[in-house]
Amino acid sequence: MISIGFDDRVKIGLQYVLDSLHLSCPFGQERVRKLRFYAPDERKELETELLNTERTAAHASALRDLFERITTVLCQLKDIRGSLKRLTEGACLDSVELFELKGFLLRIAELGPLFDCMNGTVHAEGIAFSDPTGALNVLDPEGTRSRGFYLPDSASETLRAIRAEKRRLEQTLYAAADAEKDAIRAARTRVCALEEDEERRLRAVMCAALVPFVPPMLSDADAAGRLDLLIRKAQLAVRYGGVRPEITETTLELTGMINPELADLLQAKGRAFVPVSIAADRGAVVITGANMGGKSVAMKTVALHVLLFHAGFLVPAKAARLPMLHCVQMLFDDAQSMQSGLSGFGSEIVRFNRALSEVEQGYSLFLLDELARGTNPDEGAAIVQAVTQHLNGLNAISILATHYDGVAEFARAHYQILGLKNVDPDAIRTELSAPGADGVAVIARHMNYGLYRVEGKADCPKDALNICRMLSLDPAILARIEQAY
Amino acid sequence: MLPPLLDELKAIRTLSIVGMCKNAGKTTVLNRLIEWLDGRVLGLTSIGRDGESTDVVTGTEKPGIFVPEGTLFATAKDMLPLCDVTQEIVCATGVPTPLGEVIVVRARSAGFVQLAGPSITSQLKTLSALFFSLGAQQVLIDGALGRKSLGARSVADGVILCTGASYDMRMEKVVADTANICRILNLKKAETLPKETDLPLADALKTAHEAQISGALTDSMLLPLLKSGALKNARLVVQDPSRVLLSADTFDKLALRGVTLETVDAARLVCVTVNPVSAYGWTFDPDTFKAAVQCAVHVPVINVKEAIA
Repeated sequence: MISIGFDDRVKIGLQYVLDSLHLSCPFGQERVRKLRFYAPDERKELETELLNTERTAAHASALRDLFERITTVLCQLKDIRGSLKRLTEGACLDSVELFELKGFLLRIAELGPLFDCMNGTVHAEGIAFSDPTGALNVLDPEGTRSRGFYLPDSASETLRAIRAEKRRLEQTLYAAADAEKDAIRAARTRVCALEEDEERRLRAVMCAALVPFVPPMLSDADAAGRLDLLIRKAQLAVRYGGVRPEITETTLELTGMINPELADLLQAKGRAFVPVSIAADRGAVVITGANMGGKSVAMKTVALHVLLFHAGFLVPAKAARLPMLHCVQMLFDDAQSMQSGLSGFGSEIVRFNRALSEVEQGYSLFLLDELARGTNPDEGAAIVQAVTQHLNGLNAISILATHYDGVAEFARAHYQILGLKNVDPDAIRTELSAPGADGVAVIARHMNYGLYRVEGKADCPKDALNICRMLSLDPAILARIEQAY
Repeated sequence: MLPPLLDELKAIRTLSIVGMCKNAGKTTVLNRLIEWLDGRVLGLTSIGRDGESTDVVTGTEKPGIFVPEGTLFATAKDMLPLCDVTQEIVCATGVPTPLGEVIVVRARSAGFVQLAGPSITSQLKTLSALFFSLGAQQVLIDGALGRKSLGARSVADGVILCTGASYDMRMEKVVADTANICRILNLKKAETLPKETDLPLADALKTAHEAQISGALTDSMLLPLLKSGALKNARLVVQDPSRVLLSADTFDKLALRGVTLETVDAARLVCVTVNPVSAYGWTFDPDTFKAAVQCAVHVPVINVKEAIA
């Protein structure tokens, strides 16, 4: 079963996506808080959800006004499930609770036709609202359909008589002499107590009559939550571009994917996220490249897409083919490991073991970012080579990012960060020679964080040396570095 | 009750009733107002909890708030069983209080209500708007104890100040402090606002001879400036009367130096009510007390215990 902690959600940018949804009703908010990832044996349900989302997204701009009206109603829904539970336990609800139930039913009565109107175009499956008329008739026997809750005099002959007496006493009170007032007040207090008793009895009768309506009301609350999330998923897909992944048996293929959080961050700085593409299957894939952050971003974006897919979202990519997975495990650089008492390396190995035993339970995705980065390069390389060989034999897709040499040849596939590969060094040098140029910023601007697939044996990228040249490292030192290469 | 005052009260859309202390007669005033304004749909609420039938602090019997049929009132959910009017639940405000969410109820019969409204002034403002949208013609706010929100225009258009023997055993003290509060409530509204500046108050005054005080105005802020002479003939503007935390003594000194104190935003003090009976056992002579307060303030003074004309 897929489960992912809050820290990892934040790290891969899933939390950013979820926070940007802004669900309208408590039932929708709960769906996001307890996000459900469909398991491999729920393929049918996931397919339905993905299709629903795709259809809704396709009509998102045409149905904008309708969505607006639906979310306005959703915003007014309150969580009445506590009162519903009390109803089934035989409790007598107070008038404010009955007011809230009536409010809920009135809003469902509005929501039903709006949803039908939307679904005439969208054809989403599995969402339906019940007709609340029966329950409303219990709460509003006179059929006023006003927003308020009031037990009318007509609710019982007793109530009518009590209230008439209460009114009569009040009128007498106004006209009475001071000496008589105390007696009238005492009589009035008794009548008020009678009124309270009769109202409680009537509310108890009402509550008993409402019990059969509890299941449809719970199902309406659930439908409201699903509709809420569906609309927000569709709007998200419109915002970042979204594609419905084709479900495969084992292959993972993501083409032109973006990471919304980083894309927004870069856009705020006037730059753009370079879409990343990657393909993998059972076995290990290795991503190499100078240590510039591009490798981690690629892996996190893969994790984000796989998780969004399992939660029934369209994924922000040009094309996607994804398998249903037993679990997703990720080992990213983690500041928390410092707190565990073990050294960084020690805790990394402990976490690796734990993740590995989870991955062995079923076809999974295993992401490892710079495993053994803290050890010396010789030992580190040996460890990562061995792990890569082992992961190749596992029933899982494993993706490893590393800058150790000699790992890629053990992998099923090898990706490299484009980096400065296709950049004209002269162009950069010209830019750098401009007065006041910020060397690091210029290089960052030309750095291509995209991935390309390396066929056969590849040389190590020489970006570190290139960067030294561009930033005009002391020529004597440069000469020595070149000799060593 | 003087007819002109009654007309004035009727013309104020949102009235808050502020007490100098507990047992100043606020609830009596509120009941009187409800009687006087008979025939209008009123919206009623309080700042925080008020309207208990027995005073929790002193144990004295307190009058309940009696409302006519049709009145709208806002109170915490747990207070509803203590209200004996026939209730129509009109809406739930979403404002939480320790006694439950604040609920707006329409009284479908006359009867007693217990008020426990929002304690944040911005929520009171929203609630007033809600009352008007539900058909209220005038809103009364029971201002509870303390002067936190005293006279903030954002809450009410007009203020009734209730004072009484419960405040202090010495009548002179009650009169003097009441007069001081009235003076603060009656501060002139600023016609123009001093330019905003980041300079320290003393420097700002040196150049412009006027300044806007963003926070509270306190004795410790002004006394050094008074000594240095920087305040002479200056103009100080505060947001609203609740920001003025000056002792009567400092206030007098300001007047002597020709300092003008103004407010950006203030409710109007409409009248002062006096309650000559203390909850703690002593009583002032009603006429002497009323006359003394009337001498010290510039608005009408009413004895809450007097029968209305």
